Amino acid sequence: MATGEVTMKRLLRRVVIGVGAIALPASAHAQIVVVLPSTSLSTTLTATVSEQARVAVPAGVLFSVGDIGASTAASAASVTIDQIVLATTTKQLRISLQAGGASFTPSIGGSPTWAASDVSWNAATWTQATGSAGTLSASSYNAIATCTAGVSSCSTSQLIFTLAPNTAITNAGNHTLSVTWKIESIGS
Amino acid sequence: MPISLSIRILAGLLAMLAAPQSVAPPAGLTFNATLGSIRLQARPGDVYTRQFQLSIDARQHRTHFKAHFEDWWRSENGRESFYAPPGTLHHSCAAWATANPVESAVEPGDTMVVRFTIAVPREVVTGGYWCALTVDQVADPETAHAGVGVQFLASISTGIFVDVGAVTRAADITDVRVDADRAVVSMRNVGDTPVPVDGRVEFLTRDGAAPAATVTIPRGTLLPERVTTGLFDAPLPAADVLPDGRYLVRAVMDIGLDHYIGAEREIAVTREVSSGGLGR
Repeated sequence: MATGEVTMKRLLRRVVIGVGAIALPASAHAQIVVVLPSTSLSTTLTATVSEQARVAVPAGVLFSVGDIGASTAASAASVTIDQIVLATTTKQLRISLQAGGASFTPSIGGSPTWAASDVSWNAATWTQATGSAGTLSASSYNAIATCTAGVSSCSTSQLIFTLAPNTAITNAGNHTLSVTWKIESIGS
Repeated sequence: MPISLSIRILAGLLAMLAAPQSVAPPAGLTFNATLGSIRLQARPGDVYTRQFQLSIDARQHRTHFKAHFEDWWRSENGRESFYAPPGTLHHSCAAWATANPVESAVEPGDTMVVRFTIAVPREVVTGGYWCALTVDQVADPETAHAGVGVQFLASISTGIFVDVGAVTRAADITDVRVDADRAVVSMRNVGDTPVPVDGRVEFLTRDGAAPAATVTIPRGTLLPERVTTGLFDAPLPAADVLPDGRYLVRAVMDIGLDHYIGAEREIAVTREVSSGGLGR
């Protein structure tokens, strides 16, 4: 046997002894039955749902003023909040209005026009909400309706805005006011 | 087709064209938005990142929105909400918050995602701080309409509450009463942080048995600054459930502590026509 072959066998024997030393404890532990949870048969699916809602509001209302000495009601407006998902069944969504300025902007600068507070609305009949009559303000959002706690939708198609009489008006044409619908979930 | 019929159809079409334009308002806005308030228990120097989503209906026009932070509070009866620039309130967190993007155009059917960061200053007094993330629709001059009218825009506000350190969560019940056909609980925040408030009002007969009726008070918020008092109310049950008479009325309120707070008094229930809810 050549010297090189002897060296190779010794090396091989050491390797075999090494594997045996590692394998022995493993074969001893193999006698213990360990139940492992199966990860192949069931999977937990978790959907995290945010508080949310879908809101539909009108883009505007028009007052067809034929008599500046009398109140003018606009056509009934519709507001719908649906797909309401909130964190608790006692939490409520609220919708309110605030004017963007203290008065309308007349088409002829400086001519008399209406104040924001000349616009009011009725306590409309709402489905699954409590409606509140109110008057437009430029300094605060005034509630139009609060959806009933725990509902998935609330709506009205009978919201009527009314413009007060104003005999000081001297110019026909456009008188416009920007008004913001506020959908609030500011409660804690 | 007989000539006389053709003339009548033509006359009808001309009449339709000559009729005054109807005052139908322009189409409105339909959108979905996340509406969850955010409540954080923070330490000085902490930084938090959250996101807000808004999507508009596929049938809408391209619409611009602008995000910003502001202070807010409500009137005692909850019917009015006030929004003001950051720093108006001492307990404001609006100056700690930044949004990205600040302004965005949302295409029909698309979703706008606003990521916002709240960086609590390293030097800040222990207490509760709050503000609102407000996303406003930006006016589009092309949708302005002629005539006398109002042009509506939409705005969504969600509350942000940051408790820094060991806050004092405390409130007192100052009154329990029946107004017309509503049960009303008056409360005052005597702590240093906003508290969520909900609960129930029980109407007990004199024999002390189980409540004849229980009214659930919807959730509201009681702030420690500007308007520290609040009225929390709910409609009374129908008269056949709660007939007119004298009751021991007990308010049991939950402000997020490990115990309820309560108050009771004897009240004569006499129904009147309601002026509507307080709308909190």
